[in-house]
Amino acid sequence: MEKDIRIKPDLQFIKELQAVGGDGVKKCYQCATCSVACPLSPADNPYPRKEMVWAQWGLKDKLVNDIDIWLCHNCGQCSDLCPRGARPADMLAGLRNMAYQKMVTPSCFGKWMSSPKHLPKLIAIPAVIYMVIWFIMAGVRGSFFPLKDGNVVYGYLFPGDFTIDPIFMIAFGFMAWTFYRGVKNLIESFKDQPKVFAVGDKSERPSLLACFVDVCRNELLTHSKWKECGETDEADEQKFNGHRFIMLAFIFLMIVTGIVAVTHWGGKIIPFLSAIGHTPMPLWHPVKILANVGAVMLVYSLVLLTKRRLNQDESQHKSSYYDWYLLGLIWTIGVTGIMCELLRLAGIAGLAYPMYYVHLVAVFMMFVYLPWSKLGHLVYRTAALTYARYIGRLPMPVREEKTFTL
Amino acid sequence: MPEKIGVYFDQASISPFLKAEDIAEFVGKVFANECPVIKCHPRLNTEEGRKLIQEDIDAGNVDAVLICGTSPRVDWDIFNFDNVMVERVNLREQCIKVFRNPDGSLPDPNGEVPELLQIMANEYVKMGLMKLTKGGLSEAQVINSTKVVMVLGGGFTGLTAALYAAKTNHDVILVEKEDTLGGKAAGMYKTFPLAYPYLEAHVTGIEDLIAEVESNSRIKVLKSAELTTLEGAPGEYTANIKVGSISEELPVGAVVLATGWVPQDTKYVEPMGYGSSKVVTAAEFEAMVKAGKMDASSVAFVLDTRLSEAQFAAEEETYANRSDEEIASDDADAKTASDAAKANGEEEEDFVYEDMESYKHLPYSSELSSLVALKQANYVRELNEDGIAYIIYDHMMVPGVNERYYRAAQDDPGIMLTKGTVTSVTEEGDSMIIAASNTLLGENIEIQADLVVVPTGMVPTTAHDPTINLVYRQGPAFPDLKQFDGYADSNYICFPYETRRTGVYAAGCVRQPMTMGLAREDAAGAVLKAIQCINSANHGVAVHPRSGDNSYPVFNFMRCTQCKRCTEECPFGALDDDEKGTPKPNPSRCRRCGTCMGACPERVIGFDNYNIDMVGSMIKQVDVPDDMEVGGPRFIVLACENDAYPALDMAAMRGKGWSPYVRVVPVRCLGSVNTIWIADAMSKGIDGVLLLGCKYGEDYQCHFVKGSELCDRRMENVADSLKRLGVEPERVVQSELAIDDYDKVSDLIDTFVNDMIKIGPNPFKGY
Repeated sequence: MEKDIRIKPDLQFIKELQAVGGDGVKKCYQCATCSVACPLSPADNPYPRKEMVWAQWGLKDKLVNDIDIWLCHNCGQCSDLCPRGARPADMLAGLRNMAYQKMVTPSCFGKWMSSPKHLPKLIAIPAVIYMVIWFIMAGVRGSFFPLKDGNVVYGYLFPGDFTIDPIFMIAFGFMAWTFYRGVKNLIESFKDQPKVFAVGDKSERPSLLACFVDVCRNELLTHSKWKECGETDEADEQKFNGHRFIMLAFIFLMIVTGIVAVTHWGGKIIPFLSAIGHTPMPLWHPVKILANVGAVMLVYSLVLLTKRRLNQDESQHKSSYYDWYLLGLIWTIGVTGIMCELLRLAGIAGLAYPMYYVHLVAVFMMFVYLPWSKLGHLVYRTAALTYARYIGRLPMPVREEKTFTL
Repeated sequence: MPEKIGVYFDQASISPFLKAEDIAEFVGKVFANECPVIKCHPRLNTEEGRKLIQEDIDAGNVDAVLICGTSPRVDWDIFNFDNVMVERVNLREQCIKVFRNPDGSLPDPNGEVPELLQIMANEYVKMGLMKLTKGGLSEAQVINSTKVVMVLGGGFTGLTAALYAAKTNHDVILVEKEDTLGGKAAGMYKTFPLAYPYLEAHVTGIEDLIAEVESNSRIKVLKSAELTTLEGAPGEYTANIKVGSISEELPVGAVVLATGWVPQDTKYVEPMGYGSSKVVTAAEFEAMVKAGKMDASSVAFVLDTRLSEAQFAAEEETYANRSDEEIASDDADAKTASDAAKANGEEEEDFVYEDMESYKHLPYSSELSSLVALKQANYVRELNEDGIAYIIYDHMMVPGVNERYYRAAQDDPGIMLTKGTVTSVTEEGDSMIIAASNTLLGENIEIQADLVVVPTGMVPTTAHDPTINLVYRQGPAFPDLKQFDGYADSNYICFPYETRRTGVYAAGCVRQPMTMGLAREDAAGAVLKAIQCINSANHGVAVHPRSGDNSYPVFNFMRCTQCKRCTEECPFGALDDDEKGTPKPNPSRCRRCGTCMGACPERVIGFDNYNIDMVGSMIKQVDVPDDMEVGGPRFIVLACENDAYPALDMAAMRGKGWSPYVRVVPVRCLGSVNTIWIADAMSKGIDGVLLLGCKYGEDYQCHFVKGSELCDRRMENVADSLKRLGVEPERVVQSELAIDDYDKVSDLIDTFVNDMIKIGPNPFKGY
């Protein structure tokens, strides 16, 4: 006989979940339309119905250790079809938001990231750091808006070697280390997940690496799982393309940054490299072209995603602060980045330097707070999807074995 | 009795299968004396058609009208003429539409009129003429009625009813047992929403209602009062009311019964943990909250009552199946007890009211229990911000607009709902543990709570006490309430408020467990019924379901043998009797069903427009061929005109048909079928009689409550007489037919016909 499980509902948890996007959760009357509608939900023990019931009862332990919330790609079909307007998709997004908030220490960042009232603190940290640098360098250069040979050169006011690069290297290291701990916590939370494999399946249990490769190939780069969610209307297309372009734009910009960093620091050892990546680059430089293409793609995808969010039917999908924070931040980075380039070319020092300052602050915010922001899904979801394949919650692609008969 | 009958044929209804002129010619030949006017018209239900008939009436050419065409169920408003009897012959639905040749084929619309169809039409017209000649207009027995409405019970329903009645300019006597008004509502903290948007519980407003009632000059409020007896008949009741030690006699026209409910014995919830200090009933919880004594922060509402039901149902089962010795010993015990009582000088009561409270009142109240749990869960949340309320239900019943309240309650983060089977409720330290299986959470769960609330079964006051205390021959109480476990509901389908006592209308929880919103509607409905009853008595006409019928049973006391069958069988207790047993009719109690007429072995009871001779003569209009092989058999269908007859019509309209050897005779109710009609039919050589009436038994549908049941019993008795005559008793068949069974009618009749043909010809043919 099944053992009775003593359950302990957590009212506080329900309220928290409602605050981060799951406010419709109590409306659910367990018809399971959501689980039927979901194109991705596994046939065995499907989501999001069970999560809805758990959430209604405030069963925190079950929800925070649930791997299924990461399998959802938030296409919103469940919310579209929900007869009660309980918005299961938003509830799952809310659970993920909660995960970003609670996954890793220092928890104050998680808390600050959860509400707009803490935004000033988050801005203040990089703002102060870069302001100090600005003040010091203004003293060195003799002006707050110094020109080098009559040109605006950002590296002249914010020298890469001594200010920008070390700070970002530390920031990047901090982020990587945080993610490492976060992923560890995440995998740890899945330890009670059952390990399921089909009976009679003779294939070897996949290795973690194989799972990871599969996730990268079939989910990340191609978005193929997401494609299964269906592109039925304009909004779905906006979302799908917006997400894909924004990811490509970031990859382009990452390559650019990588090249600049490698050639710059590599140039210290192999001198000719430094010439390739010397900034500011002329506009015909292939790396510069790549950077500009990336910037344009970024803005284009932002337009798509913002338009979609603004046109959403509030009764079926709501946007949480987590959504708007990330969109706002990327807008800031994109717009200030482009403006920096234009103002530099125009030689308007009085505007160019403040613009660059804002750009620095925004980029810092993106990197340092990444593990607590919605963008953290880049790492957490990848980790969860990999692990889900590893434990058999998600199937690996079927390998066709060639058989030859005589 | 009419002497000049005008016969009118509606050609539109019967063409092209029948030629109106042929039938007219037949009537002219056979009934030349009775029918001075015989006319055919292309379309009678028009201005022109009506004018044609009206002119004949005005000219004094006719004193009765026979309209041959459509069913009497249509155009009755058109064919309505003052001061003349109107009869309809249903040649459209039940003649041309249902006619099938003996081989089952449809008649050819352009060919010759089939002989059997012509015979059928002629016989139906003859029956119609016979009905007119044997009938007569009756004069209403007007009662100079008292326009006072007595409302029993001063709770929410009673107060509302009193106000509604007063608003219609009727004087009201409000009788309340307790010394304060307000009833159960006065003890409630809040009620479910009674108005849009139906989202939040609110105060009952009972104080305002009481004040309004007490300040109304039309309403006479009697507190600490008791109705000792109610004597007389609707429109002229005398209520004997005891207030304190003083008795008062007050004239009353009609009664609204709003005596409500009492909480069920708590022994019925003991299997659900009641008895522990941390388990209370919903009624007790309500009182706790009202008194400000509710301090639990987590409360579990257990709506799944199967633990209790299973135990008590098993006990009942064991008792019902006990051995003969045990039954004998129980009887002996009862006898000793009553002997002992007699020996002690206690007078033996001649009337003992059986208590009808049972565990079943728990599931009967489950709709209310669901709503109460939602309401009280909201109390928990209202009183404590961190409070948690659990509701474990088997069925969450929130029909109608209450769905909105359910949704609103469900939306509260602190109200946890799950379907589930509660397997145990136990104490553990300072709290209670509720275990449940089959939950929505997909596993067996245990919940810990400070307090457990179990539902309160609502037992109607009429389960414990006659309440109405009538001075009727059939006793002081509503009859057969056991069938409804004490609820004062007549179970009239579609007819709420009706009881089996004309003039007494039930409203509120005495009728069925209900919300205050519904009780308010009930109060209005019952008051309107009561007023209708007073006015009907005032005009000497029947109330529902034969509203407006001014006939009434007439007794030929000369031949009455005082057998008391009519007084005992009347479903409404309309007949009292004197010491010798001579029936004493009370026209305003009577609903004109004719059950007395069917019951009377001496056939001394009849109505001016419906009597033994009339139906007997109609049956005699069927010509039975001497040789069944040549002319075919003949069958009579006696169809209840409330449900079976409309079902036949509907079947006809939907293209169904049946044997051409069947003749349908409508009757008011199968209860009015006198066995002499069967004997008449059989002695004439009719091969079988089919009685179509309503369902009877637990879920009866009879408009007159008992008609079809009584008929069934009488037909058992008639079987013996038939056997003695040498007629197979199998030739009389009774079938239950609901109004929506039109799809089954055709098969039912044809099966009957085939069964009868198998038996062979009636031995009385040709005599």
